[in-house]
Amino acid sequence: MSLNLFAVDASFKIEKDVEHRSRIAVVDTSPSTNEQFFKILLSDLKISGHFLADTTHNRGELNSKFIAPALKSKEYILRYALTQGSGTKLVVRLLKASDGKELFRKSYSIPTITKAPFLAHKAISDINDVLKYASISWINRYVVFSRYTSAKQSEIILADYTFNYKKVIIRGGLNLFPKWADANQKSFYYTSYAGIIPTLYRLNIYSGSKQKITSSEGMLVCSDVSKNGSKILLTMAPEGQADIYEMSSSGGAKKRITTFNGIDVNGKYVDNDSRIVFVSNRLGYANIFKKSISGSGVSQVVYHGRNNNAVDAHGSKIVYSSRESQNSFGNNTFNLYLTSSLGSGTRPLTASGTNQFPRFSTDGSVLQYIKHSSRGSSIGYTNLNSKQSLLFPLGVKKIQSLDW
Amino acid sequence: MIKKVLLSTSVLVLLFLTGCGQNSPDLSASNNNISDATALSGDTVSINDNAYGNESGGRGNSSSDGFQSLYFNFGDYSISSNMENAISRNVNVANNASGRRVKIEGNCDEFGTDEYNYALGLKRAKAVKDSMSSQGINTSKMVMVSFGESNPICTSSTDSCYGKNRRVDLRLVR
Repeated sequence: MSLNLFAVDASFKIEKDVEHRSRIAVVDTSPSTNEQFFKILLSDLKISGHFLADTTHNRGELNSKFIAPALKSKEYILRYALTQGSGTKLVVRLLKASDGKELFRKSYSIPTITKAPFLAHKAISDINDVLKYASISWINRYVVFSRYTSAKQSEIILADYTFNYKKVIIRGGLNLFPKWADANQKSFYYTSYAGIIPTLYRLNIYSGSKQKITSSEGMLVCSDVSKNGSKILLTMAPEGQADIYEMSSSGGAKKRITTFNGIDVNGKYVDNDSRIVFVSNRLGYANIFKKSISGSGVSQVVYHGRNNNAVDAHGSKIVYSSRESQNSFGNNTFNLYLTSSLGSGTRPLTASGTNQFPRFSTDGSVLQYIKHSSRGSSIGYTNLNSKQSLLFPLGVKKIQSLDW
Repeated sequence: MIKKVLLSTSVLVLLFLTGCGQNSPDLSASNNNISDATALSGDTVSINDNAYGNESGGRGNSSSDGFQSLYFNFGDYSISSNMENAISRNVNVANNASGRRVKIEGNCDEFGTDEYNYALGLKRAKAVKDSMSSQGINTSKMVMVSFGESNPICTSSTDSCYGKNRRVDLRLVR
């Protein structure tokens, strides 16, 4: 397993003044070193956009009052100890570099070392909060994704955001389009092909309880979940025509939102859940449109590109992927663009490779995406505020869909 | 079948540490009292869904029951004149299938992504359904499902292979 923690997308300039980020050194005081865990800590610090971490893998003592002279030029020192016994334990201490004053100390545990990445994420998230920076709690979240394994076969997998932790949660069958059902990530929706027609289920990842939501001839996807989890947007085709519907997450009648005699898919809530953006071929090619939940008028959002076939939204922010080469076969260039439902400017987020499956973090500050390039396939993250970017090796083939 | 995952500590420890150029963490229990630590969330379930396929009319990636698959051009979902013989044959098979429905499966090549590709596969299935309906097959006797890019016949990087994946398969279901 290799790590490629600091591959920055070529399109990005590091625009945030480094002086605005806190200089921090990381000191490993574990009984034995673990380079992978150290790099996960560094990646957490970097993607936060709040820290400028020294990449030297320092060694030291957890409780010593001695501060190495070379580290006194930093603002903070993070000492940690990762140990394994009846469980995996992480102890962290945040020190002021100039005088060694302890600002924060906490211990974390988790049953198995495979989930150690989550210890790193939680510790850095807490340290970020202690220093009163904008929350980065999104690094603690699971990523859920589906991948094809063979014809009509797939797996649904849980991962940490770096993909260092991965666990198959549904093995076998054809189960697609996983989508988190609640803010706490206790359940997700997914489409099962076990029956004659696609069926949407909601699965509790801790208890394993599964609830049938609805089914539809043709296709069925839970494309989005409202902020409070009470409503869902579905792409379904009860009469063979892919359109967008809204229904209560507790079941009941479905409200048809689009009625176009073509392709309308990928509905996403925007503007405080009062409107949706979606992908439609109503102009003869895939593009991004928006409409209110209750009204009939549809307006074009994107006036750029000739094949914009995926979209995500957060608040008024909209991200979409645009195919920018015309190869019928083989790799095409797909780039991501950021725009707004309010009509403000559009800016590119990537400049090369095949960039797809854009997904906003829960606070809308970071974008997740899949990148295929000549150097391999990666899961990418871009902090939209600091412009910091990270790529992690994907380690799995042919992702079908993902959610964060 | 749902079961709690019993993790093999030794295997998973090895997985996590693979690639580390340095020593693994101390795995002894000494100095590692986790009772004072904040425990993160518990473990998740693992579900085996391999029973799939019995109810859905088969896992095949071609037509069966005497039906003939139909093939489409890149990005296209229109019925062309060279599909007429296959459509007629499929209509005859459907007419002779008493008590069973015709499942029409739309498929795409691997170059589309996300929901849009599933909608494209569905448009192909719908085109075949409409064509068969116009030749007398009752729409209630047909059911459509799009499999998007999930059901390729072949995976080699050739135009002919990709063409085989842009197809509609038909089979009988109860």
